[in-house]
Amino acid sequence: MGRGGSRAAPAAAAPPWHALPDEVWEHAFSFLPSASDRGAVAGSCHSWLRAERRSRRRLIVANCYAAAPRDAVERFPAVRAAEVKGKPHFADFGLVPPAWGAAAEPWVAAAADGWPLLEELSFKRMVVTDECLEMIAASFRNFQVLRLVSCEGFSTAGLAAIAAGCRNLRELDLQENEIEDCSIHWLSLFPESFTSLVTLNFSCLEGDVNITVLERLVTRCRNLKTLKLNNAIPLDKLASLVRKAPQIVELGTGRFSADYHPDLFAKLEAACAGCKSLRRLSGAWDAVPEYLPAFYCVCEGLTSLNLSYATVRGPELIKFISRCKNLQLLWVMDLIEDHGLAVVASSCNKLQELRVFPSAPFDAAEQVSLTERGLVDVSASCPMLESVLYFCRRMTNEALITIAKNRPNFTCFRLCIIEPHTPDYITHQPLDAGFSAIVESCKGLRRLSVSGLLTDRVFKSIGAHANRLEMLSIAFAGNSDLGLHYILSGCKSLKKLEIRDCPFGDKPLLANAAKLETMRSLWMSSCSLTLGPCQQLARKMPRLNVEVMNDPRRACPLDSLTDESPVETLYVYRTIAGPRSDTPAYVQIV
Amino acid sequence: MASAGESGDGADGKGVTTITIISSDNEAFEVLEAAASMSLTIRHLIEDGCADGGIPLPNVTAGILAKVLEYCSKHVAAVAASSEAGSSSNAADAAAAPEKEEDLASFDKAFIDVEQDTLYDLLMAANYLEVKGLLDLACQKVADMIKGKTPDAIRQTFKIKNDFSPEQEEKIREENQWAFE
Repeated sequence: MGRGGSRAAPAAAAPPWHALPDEVWEHAFSFLPSASDRGAVAGSCHSWLRAERRSRRRLIVANCYAAAPRDAVERFPAVRAAEVKGKPHFADFGLVPPAWGAAAEPWVAAAADGWPLLEELSFKRMVVTDECLEMIAASFRNFQVLRLVSCEGFSTAGLAAIAAGCRNLRELDLQENEIEDCSIHWLSLFPESFTSLVTLNFSCLEGDVNITVLERLVTRCRNLKTLKLNNAIPLDKLASLVRKAPQIVELGTGRFSADYHPDLFAKLEAACAGCKSLRRLSGAWDAVPEYLPAFYCVCEGLTSLNLSYATVRGPELIKFISRCKNLQLLWVMDLIEDHGLAVVASSCNKLQELRVFPSAPFDAAEQVSLTERGLVDVSASCPMLESVLYFCRRMTNEALITIAKNRPNFTCFRLCIIEPHTPDYITHQPLDAGFSAIVESCKGLRRLSVSGLLTDRVFKSIGAHANRLEMLSIAFAGNSDLGLHYILSGCKSLKKLEIRDCPFGDKPLLANAAKLETMRSLWMSSCSLTLGPCQQLARKMPRLNVEVMNDPRRACPLDSLTDESPVETLYVYRTIAGPRSDTPAYVQIV
Repeated sequence: MASAGESGDGADGKGVTTITIISSDNEAFEVLEAAASMSLTIRHLIEDGCADGGIPLPNVTAGILAKVLEYCSKHVAAVAASSEAGSSSNAADAAAAPEKEEDLASFDKAFIDVEQDTLYDLLMAANYLEVKGLLDLACQKVADMIKGKTPDAIRQTFKIKNDFSPEQEEKIREENQWAFE
């Protein structure tokens, strides 16, 4: 009699599922794309555990310190594609000092040993050295996809090794990395016989590339679908590259700036006219609105427009966007202003994701007219809008309540009011009511960032209502420990919690210690934590890594600190690998 | 003697070849060679000249064999129709193409909507006979029965015995959820 369920008496006996050959189960499991389904299958019985682990092709390690690389490789010997993520998200805001960890090397070394057939490798917020890239180029004979996002530690020498060594490379996707320029002509190292490239993204590379070599590469890679250039490519060269790749689906234009010349305009327009498949467009468009009409012919086909680095503004920008009637994704600077967003609202009814970035976040003077109005308009008129990231300087509860009512389908809502503690600018009240409305209305909300003046009350609402919430970001909010306690005792699905500059202490952590084992990680910086209780937490929960981090510039060694010493940053995460051994001096695992 | 019988009877005068397949319980099924060849196993037997007097399948009973051949016949007819439409310059044919695709999709959906017993038999048969499309269809159905379920619920669905100790089960759950999700 199996556990966990009573058997109905006269029901037909179940077929002998255990008699199906392993390879049939492995094939069936290949129709389960989600890691959690595969995990559930593996937890069902011994034979499925075996079949699942032997057939898992795609492995995601969301925290590189949650498992040891060699254990991962041993457990899943058939992996062809692996993705590993390192530093916590707040590293993007400079809150993680250098040499913190997250080295890719142990993962590449383990993969080189155990996964010789590896085809894809993806690293996010990790330290990837040139030696890593050389090892990748030398170890995997069928390597096809390299994706590096927000990484550092490598140079164009490493890229040269990839270009020279990976004969079957299809994708080289470099997003937001810090790459040292060694003036090596790495593009020239792709052999003349190499034609397999489908994605080439070097938009984050500072420094020149050999444009003739690039043109030859683009010409011979007839399957090239994604081409994202860096800022070193002048506009006339952009035009000739585009003409050589009319099959392009995604284009990053690089700097896109030049003095207006009718000849160059015509060249650009003609090149674009050939691009019948172009769907995604991005680039750091400088203020040359006169060239925008050259892209008019592709507007209607665009589903994605990323102008998050574009300083272009004014009526030409808005006219351009208004022609993009099929846009699903729009990332733009706040230079678009409220009236621009009103045009987006009326023109782009298929919009699913909107991000509005601040053009001058550190300049308190109000230069752009982007307020709550823009967001209200877009959320009122775009029925498929489900993901928002919005930087602005003022907000009202009423606006948030209206937005919540219009768009209960939000899955991601990140509002960043730039100045901390900013209240409702009309009533001067905290924005508790507004954010409460959001979590009460948007039952499918998975990601939330709150900002502005907020009391503990908003956290009570979030804890009680945000049942599907997986990631929560809090800054400069709350009154007391109660705020944190509400979150940790509620939020059933919470996986990642990141907090900075809030008056939260350690009591709610100790009171909700078990919650931390149900979450991937917790980050708390510039809060009210002290060393003693953090050590207590570590003793209470031995399978969590409790990392305490202080200012690396402080001379005082961590061992000499007392229970009452303040803790600048706490990073807690569950792991099956025990404490890590690569902590720098300023990090202590308590 | 020819290894495949020529169809003299039947409405089509095109002279397409048919094959006889014999189930484990000795029932004979006559089908188009093209349909039977959707099974790699059968195709190899035909190529090896083993089709004289019919191909015996000791592992497949009549009931399931009938269903497998029904799947193959439907899919082979669909492929023939779409290649006709593709080579035809008739606008009506081209317009009918997506509709035919929809037809096939709803056929597949209805076809695989079966009890666990039949699903199990189809999986076994599709695997043994190497009918890729049918194997994929059946595996997708099994996957759909798994999606979103906890290990307990999965065990209940498939009446699987839990052969883990509580400690083992806990360890596996942790490894999966903490490290590999």
